[in-house]
Amino acid sequence: MGVFEFMVGRKKPTPSELAKERLKVVLVHDRLKVSPELLELIKSELLSVLSRRLDIDEQHMQITMTREGGLDTLMANAPIKRQKVTFEWDPPSKDVIRGKVHVEEDQQ
Amino acid sequence: MDSTRIITITSGKGGVGKTTTTANLGTALAMQGKKVAVLDADIGLRNLDAVMGLENRIVYDLVDVVEGQCRLKQALIKDKRQPELYLLPAAQTRDKNAVNSIQMEELCQQLRQDFDFVIIDSPAGIEQGFRNAIVGANEIIIVANPEMASVRDADRIIGLVEAAGKPEPRLILNRLRADMVKRGDMMAITDVLEVLNIDLVGIVPEDESIIIATNKGEPAVYDKRSRAGRAYLDTAQRLLGEEVPLDEVLDSPSLLERLRRLIRFGPALSEKPARSQSS
Repeated sequence: MGVFEFMVGRKKPTPSELAKERLKVVLVHDRLKVSPELLELIKSELLSVLSRRLDIDEQHMQITMTREGGLDTLMANAPIKRQKVTFEWDPPSKDVIRGKVHVEEDQQ
Repeated sequence: MDSTRIITITSGKGGVGKTTTTANLGTALAMQGKKVAVLDADIGLRNLDAVMGLENRIVYDLVDVVEGQCRLKQALIKDKRQPELYLLPAAQTRDKNAVNSIQMEELCQQLRQDFDFVIIDSPAGIEQGFRNAIVGANEIIIVANPEMASVRDADRIIGLVEAAGKPEPRLILNRLRADMVKRGDMMAITDVLEVLNIDLVGIVPEDESIIIATNKGEPAVYDKRSRAGRAYLDTAQRLLGEEVPLDEVLDSPSLLERLRRLIRFGPALSEKPARSQSS
């Protein structure tokens, strides 16, 4: 459910669902006072971290602050360009243990 | 009285039904034999008097009491029908800054001596008038309608009530339209509760009888055919600690819709559209 389902166009939301999803986002922003600029910054930082391991579709990457299960939550949706997946196997720092990097199983 | 409950009815947004709720809950509690004072804290825009049909009896008002122009007992207006129900009207010619928080708290302490319940009708907004309305309260009830602006404002109020060190507010969801909920055009009760994370104390349907009752100056709780009136009677019972089931019929998405919702309600992280596209 949620914003993402609407984004990929799986289903047209009812007005009530739209209201709920919009509210969840707006309330988190109201409460945490996160500006769009800050969210953009978080997005670009996330992208640079993720891009060390995965080829992310930058155009379609979305991050949203919303409320899930009573908790204010940051939701990141980072589509991976499957055809051009590249993995950088050398850990970027010593504290990432080699081989323990989580890989989505269908990314080969 | 030590056990006096001072309940503020507030909302943030205007026009959601604070005054109607105050009048109806006050009347319903008085019908249960409680000694009740309803207090209009909306200085400059008084209306609680009109909703209760007492607008012609006002001599003194809240500001007169606070400024010492009269004694509290002189300003309290006895209800037409309930012998133990009194109204303290707002001033109409002054503004919200005519009273400060300390004066309001003292007024609440004074009312405490004679009443079981003091119900305070808060003005809309989050400024001085709102702060005055909650300062003396030991319970807060937020009135909201199932729509964006009202729910958003309610969330803001929840935050402010918490910041003021008051107990957790409870919610009356007002002007619910079951037909719109059924069509998916209005948020259901569960949606609002999930978004706001608050306890529910009453659900009141949208009902023409409220306008008729206001036109007559008789709260809807007297009208046995009024669904909203019955909902307020139920809410008052709940305030008195009785277990009255919330009318589920008011909020009945079809069984199919409920099932669909349940299924879609996976944990947030199970959402992987990119993956489902590529597999």
